[in-house]
Amino acid sequence: MASTLLLEAGVVLTVLAVAGALAWRMGQSVIPAYLLAGIAVGPHAPVIGDVSLTLVERSEFIDLFAELGVVFLLFFIGVEFSVAKLLAEPRRILTAGGVDLVVNVALGVILGLAFGLSLVEALFLAGIVYPSSSAVITKSLIDLGWIADPESEAILGVLVAEDVVMAVYLAVLAAVAIGGPLGSAVLPLAESLGFLLGFALLATVGSGLVERAFDTRSNELFLLRVVGFTALLAGFALTTGVSEAVAAFFVGAAISESDLKPRLESVIAPARDLFAAVFFFAIGLGADPGAVTSVVPLLAAGVGFAIVGKLATGYVGGRAYDLNPRRSLRMALAMVTRGEFSLVVAALAAATAGVSPAIPAFAVGYVLVMSILGTLLMGASDRIESVLGVAEPAT
Amino acid sequence: MTVYESEIPGVGRKFEVEVDDDGSRIVVLLHHDGRREVFRRAGPDADSEKLFDLDAQSARRLGSILTGTTFETVDVAELEVPLGEAIIEWWEVGDGSDLAGSTLGAADLRSATGVSVIAIQRGEETIANPEPDARIETGDVLVTLGTREEQAAFEDLV
Repeated sequence: MASTLLLEAGVVLTVLAVAGALAWRMGQSVIPAYLLAGIAVGPHAPVIGDVSLTLVERSEFIDLFAELGVVFLLFFIGVEFSVAKLLAEPRRILTAGGVDLVVNVALGVILGLAFGLSLVEALFLAGIVYPSSSAVITKSLIDLGWIADPESEAILGVLVAEDVVMAVYLAVLAAVAIGGPLGSAVLPLAESLGFLLGFALLATVGSGLVERAFDTRSNELFLLRVVGFTALLAGFALTTGVSEAVAAFFVGAAISESDLKPRLESVIAPARDLFAAVFFFAIGLGADPGAVTSVVPLLAAGVGFAIVGKLATGYVGGRAYDLNPRRSLRMALAMVTRGEFSLVVAALAAATAGVSPAIPAFAVGYVLVMSILGTLLMGASDRIESVLGVAEPAT
Repeated sequence: MTVYESEIPGVGRKFEVEVDDDGSRIVVLLHHDGRREVFRRAGPDADSEKLFDLDAQSARRLGSILTGTTFETVDVAELEVPLGEAIIEWWEVGDGSDLAGSTLGAADLRSATGVSVIAIQRGEETIANPEPDARIETGDVLVTLGTREEQAAFEDLV
């Protein structure tokens, strides 16, 4: 097989390039495009006549890149995590972020239990339903020019709050995933919390150390050091039963206040984009369209819950930030968008024994619908505003 | 004038500048890749309107125009300032000009051409309202006041 590995990598990346270009042209985020690309050429690809469109089977190359994708997605969420932003307006962010958390997680758990899932499975489902997509929303904010308007502050504030919640959530869930059902997970949970504490210390007290370790004039050495050190720590975390994603988050957070940030964006972000693209592709590969259709009732209910939940909490959040009804509505529309975090949770669910394969299948359908729908809703906000009678009076 | 700065995760930094008392703001978005987007927001409830996009180099140039520094490097031969009928011009005394070496009084420029020399720029130094015994040297920039015709007559001399 080794002889075809290079060819396979070429096929995967070329398919991703084409899918990305199409998404770009249609003004959509690349995430649903990468997912669809994975479905279209993977082992579950449609068969037309007698010809299967399957080009790619799951291989070590894809697994490795996908794993690195998760690590560097979370690494950058850590890098872009700003304690200052979180503490800038604690009252507003606690209100908006708190309502967002409580309502949407509760909806996810209720949904899971109502469909007869176990509590652990319902928690996975909640982790997929809850988080909005920083990546897709930020892109739309820039495309639509909302980034210069007051609602962007509120939206980005709540997204930062979600990042913290998800870091803790992933840590706990990974411990559960490795330790088994909730009851017997107490020991690994305590152990992994110990490791997490270590990583958190690294991110706070040790940030100068990490910064010095990374700091070098050569971009080439910088790339190697950051990717190497982050992968090393994340891999170490995984072998000790701690979420590699959370470890990467803390490594990123350690240098979030440093001068290295612009360089990370220019030198490391391209590596992240490459790995993350393969990660989304791999999720698509693993998704059997048959399995997705078998969860249609769950998916329909989930999409309904997700839209109503985020519209309501987004609007309340906007009001908590003293935005007028029109801008609060915009925030509500933006928060509907889901993406990368839901898929990270889906990957964890797929790797956990005893969790129904319906859950990752649900996540694929859910992210496909919600990422596209969110982008469309934001784009249509002018029309929605005038229908609801909150449009800006003509000047 | 108040400036608000905030960070946009994954994008860059955002600056909001209050430009008027009416609450309008200029919003500048600095992308990590060096691109700058500039918006104007007419009021607290208005939508921002994108004015233009700049790359890093153009942004620096525009910035230096706004701070006024660029005007020191503007080509002096092309500067004109309206002043009623009369205009002010800058003339560099070139090599081989008849004026080089003579004093203002001896050159008697006012009766020859009609223009008044209101200042002499010599390198970093500016001699404002020069005396008749001030000597003109090669490389000096003479700042002259006169009508277009008078300036044209003066141009022949320089």
